[in-house]
Amino acid sequence: MAGGNEINANESKMAVPLNTWVLISNFKLAYNLLRRPDGTFDRHLAEFLDRKVPANVTPVNGIISFDVLIDRPNNLVARIYRPAPATAAGSIPIFTDLYQPPSSDTFPVIIFFHGGSFAHSSSNSAIYDSLCRRFVSLCDAVVISVNYRRAPEYKYPCAYDDGWAALKWASAEPWLRSGKEGKLRVFLAGDSSGGNIAHHVAVRAAESGIEIAGNILLNSMFGGNRRTESEQRLDGKYFVTIQDRDWYWKAFLPEGADRDHPACNPFGPNGVRLEGLAFPKSLVIVAGLDLVQDWQLAYAEGLKTAGHFVKVVYREQATIGFYLLPNTNHFYEVMEEIKEFVRFNL
Amino acid sequence: MKREHQEAAAGGDRRGGGGGNWYAAAEQEKGKALMGTDDGVDELLAALGYKVRSSDMADVAQKLEQLEMAMGSSAAANDDALLAHLAFDTVHYNPSDLSNWVDNILSELNAPPPLPQPPPPPPADDPLSLQFDLPPAVTEQYTIGTVDLPDGSPCKPADVDELQPEASTASSGWLISQSGHQPEVAKSLRDRKRLKVCSSPPSSTITADAATAAAAQQVVIVDSQEAGIRLVHALMACAEAVQKENLKAAGAIVKQISVLAASQGGAMRKVAGYFAEALARRIYRPQPPRGMGCSSTVESAALDDMLHHHFYESCPYLKFAHFTANQAILEAFAGFRRVHVVDFGMRQGLQWPALLQALALRQGGPPSFRLTGIGPPQPDNSDALQEVGWKLAQLAKTIRVDFRYRGFVAASLADLDPYMLLGPEADGGGVEDDEPEVVAVNSILELHRLLARPGALEKVLGTIRAVRPVIVTVVEQEANHNGRAFLDRFTEALHYYSTMFDSLEGGASPPAAVEVGGHDQAMAEIYLGRQIYNVVACEGAERTERHETLPQWRARMSRTGFDSVPIGSNAFKQASMLLALFSGGEGYRVEENDGCLTLGWHTRPLIATSAWRAAGDPLSTSASCRTASS
Repeated sequence: MAGGNEINANESKMAVPLNTWVLISNFKLAYNLLRRPDGTFDRHLAEFLDRKVPANVTPVNGIISFDVLIDRPNNLVARIYRPAPATAAGSIPIFTDLYQPPSSDTFPVIIFFHGGSFAHSSSNSAIYDSLCRRFVSLCDAVVISVNYRRAPEYKYPCAYDDGWAALKWASAEPWLRSGKEGKLRVFLAGDSSGGNIAHHVAVRAAESGIEIAGNILLNSMFGGNRRTESEQRLDGKYFVTIQDRDWYWKAFLPEGADRDHPACNPFGPNGVRLEGLAFPKSLVIVAGLDLVQDWQLAYAEGLKTAGHFVKVVYREQATIGFYLLPNTNHFYEVMEEIKEFVRFNL
Repeated sequence: MKREHQEAAAGGDRRGGGGGNWYAAAEQEKGKALMGTDDGVDELLAALGYKVRSSDMADVAQKLEQLEMAMGSSAAANDDALLAHLAFDTVHYNPSDLSNWVDNILSELNAPPPLPQPPPPPPADDPLSLQFDLPPAVTEQYTIGTVDLPDGSPCKPADVDELQPEASTASSGWLISQSGHQPEVAKSLRDRKRLKVCSSPPSSTITADAATAAAAQQVVIVDSQEAGIRLVHALMACAEAVQKENLKAAGAIVKQISVLAASQGGAMRKVAGYFAEALARRIYRPQPPRGMGCSSTVESAALDDMLHHHFYESCPYLKFAHFTANQAILEAFAGFRRVHVVDFGMRQGLQWPALLQALALRQGGPPSFRLTGIGPPQPDNSDALQEVGWKLAQLAKTIRVDFRYRGFVAASLADLDPYMLLGPEADGGGVEDDEPEVVAVNSILELHRLLARPGALEKVLGTIRAVRPVIVTVVEQEANHNGRAFLDRFTEALHYYSTMFDSLEGGASPPAAVEVGGHDQAMAEIYLGRQIYNVVACEGAERTERHETLPQWRARMSRTGFDSVPIGSNAFKQASMLLALFSGGEGYRVEENDGCLTLGWHTRPLIATSAWRAAGDPLSTSASCRTASS
C-alpha cells in the first residue's frame, strides 16, 4: 500500500498549489489523529489544534466582526461580520453602531454554516473567519456564521436546530431588514457539512413560510448507502477517503441509522418530497476531484426534478478546500459566481 | 490615530465599495500568492494561523508525505497501535509552527512506542548516566485538586474533586531511542525540539507587527436587550464626555446611568454600577475612600488577599492560571534534584499545594524544594507571608517533600535584586554541593503593575534574567487596559468586564462550595470592581491595573531577551477537563495561542498563561548542566 500512497500524494500535489497542499494535508493529518476507531472524538486535541481568531470591532479592510450569544441554554454563539459602521473618526464602534443597518439600500444577509464534516471547526476558526470576511466584501453583505453544535457529542438534528435558531434570530433583528418592504433578504450558505445544514434549514424555512432568497452550497456533504462511481474512483486520491466520510456520517446520524437517512441522502429512499414547496433557488458548487461529487450532482438533480431552480458550477480540476486560499482561478471564479448569484436574487 | 493608519495600510476603506474594490484587492492578493516571498513566511497561510517560511514549504510538504505513507502502511496493516500512540501519547506544541509540529510527530513516529517497564540502569561509563533515577516528564501523573493545608487555614478544605489524570501509562515526551539512551537524552531531544520552536521564529517582523498592530477589539454580546444597549450607550457617552473634559455633561449622564442600571438585571447592572461609580469619582474627584482602588494602602493588602481568594473560589480563572503555570514548571523541573520557585505574588500560596503534591508523586522521588514568596507590606506588622510558608511546610512534611521557605516583603517587585532571590543556598553551599539548583519564576497577575512606573518592568525582567531561571511563568489578564486614550481604555474595559461578570453569573462554583457560592461571587465582584475602579478612575503611578494583551507581552519579553516555551496539549487537555468541574462551565473555553494558553468565556479569552526562558542560554539547562556537574 505504501506505493499506492506515494502515487496518491503525487497526484494531489499536482492538483493544487504547494501551500494549499500543505494546508489541507495538515488538516488531514490532524483529523486522522482525532477520529478514534470506536467512534469517539478527541475534542480537546481538536480544540488545541484548531487555529482560532478573535472577533474584532476594529475595522480590518473595512469589515468588523463581533460575537452574539443567540441561545444561552445551548451556548449558541454566532459571529456577525459586517461593513464597518460609520462612526466618529477613529473611535471604536459601540453597541448601538453595531446594530445599525450597513446600508440604506437593500443588502443581503448570509447565514453561513462552516464545514468540518459536522465534527470539526468553529465559527471562530481562522479559515472560516477569513472566508466570511470575503463574503462581506464580495456581496456587501452581513454574514452570520453559526457556531453550531458538532458531532459526535451532538448528533442529528442538533446542527439543524441551531441553524434554525440562527435563522429565527436573524428574522427578529430589525437592523437586518432592508429595501422598500423592509424585509430580511437572507441567503443560506455553507461548505461541506455546512452545505448540508443549509439545505435542511431551507426545507424547514420553506415549510414554515420564511422566505429564503437563495441557497449556496459549496462542496456540500451528502451521501448514501451505495458507493458511487466518483467515490470509488477518487477514494484516497485527493485528501479524502470513503472511510473517513463513513466515520463522520456515523458520528452525526442517529444510532443505528444508515446513510440513506434523509439527513444524509435527502433525495434517497427516505427523502422528503420537495415538490410544491417554496424552496429557494440554489447555487451548487461541485469540485471535480471531490469524491462526494456524485452525491452533490444527484442532489442538484433532485432539486430540478422537484421543480426548483438550481445552478450547478462544476470545477473539473478543483479539490476540496479550494475556497480556503485565494491562489487559484477556482477561487476567484467561484467567488464571482457567488457574487452574481446573490446580486441576482437579492 | 494608530488604528486608522493600520486600517488604511491594510488596503483601504471598503465601505460602500462593492465589486470594484474587491476585485482590485483580489488581484493584488493573487499576485502576492503567485510571487511568494523568499525570506518571510507564506502570507496566505499566515492569515490562517500557520507560520511557514516559503523556503520551508517543500520541506514541510515532504515530511507530511512521509507521515502519510507511514500512517497509510500501518492503516493498511490494520495496525491501530501506531495511530493510537501518535494520537494519545504525543504531546503537541504550538500548531501554528507547522514545521516543528510535523517534526514532532515524525520523531514520535520514528521512535518505537515506549516500553511498559522502566528502563534498565545506565552503564557506569556512560557520560550521561546519573547516580539516581530520572523521572520522566511528568504529565499524566499530575493530579488536579485542592489540597488541605493543616490547622484549618483560611484556604477551603480539600475539595472532593480530584481529577484522575489520563489513563495513559506511557509518559509523554519520554522517547527511548533504539540505541537505548537514557530518557534524559530523550528529554533534551524534546527540549531541543521545543527550543527550536522558540529560538528561530519564522520572521522577526511577525513579532514586531504583532506588537504594533492594534489588538483585536473583541466584543461578545451576551444580552442584546434594548435596555442593556441603552445602558452601554450612556456609559460610553459619559466616558466620551470625560475624555473631552466636559465634566458637566458627564455628570448629567452619570446620574442617568444609575436609573438605567436599576432597570437592568444580572451582570450588566453590576458592571454598569462599577463603571458608573468609577466615572463619578473621576468626574467629582473626591478623596477616594480607604481601601478603594487608587492608592494601595497597607490596610488594603489584607483585604486584597481576601477578595483574591474569593475570586479564586468563584470562577476558574485563577485555578487555570495556577494549573497551567504549575504544568510548565513541573516539566521544566523534570530531572532536577534541587528546585526553587520564586513566587512574585505569594498571597495565601494557593498555587503551591498542588505543585508540592505533583513533585511528591514524581517518579524517582521528589526533589528538594525551595520556595521564595514575595508579598507587600502587611498591617500590624503581622507576618502573613511567614505564616503561609509555615503552613506549606507542614503540608510538605506530611507528603515527605524536603521543603524550605523564605518570605520577602517588598512594596514593589522593582525593589528586588537577584541576590535576594537566589540566596546563599543557590550555590549548593549546603548539603548537596554538586547539585545545581534550578529556578522557576512565577508571576500571576503581577507584571502589569510595574507598567505604572517607567523602568520598573525592565528592572524586574533584568532581575529575572540575572537569576537564570529554567522557566518563567507569566499569567496576565488578556486585555489592553493600558492604552493612552482614556476612552479606548474605558471601552476595552467595559467589554472585558462585561464578559467577565457574565461568566460569574453563568459559571457557578462547584457544588461542594455551594453554601458559600453566593458569598464567593459577591466578593469576586468586589474584587473585579476594584480593578474597574483603578482602570477608570486612577492615573499615573496609582493606576496599577495596566493590563496588556498577549501580543504586547510577547513583544516585551522577546525584546528583553526571553524565548517562548510553548505549553503543550497535555496541559490544554487537563485544563479543559478542570473546567467541567464548574457547573455552567460549558461557556468556558481554553484556547491555544501560538504556544500560550488562554481561558475565556465563550469566544472571548480573558486570561493568558505563557512560559519563557532566557534566550541564548545554553541549550537545555538540563543536558548541559548535567554534563558540567558530572
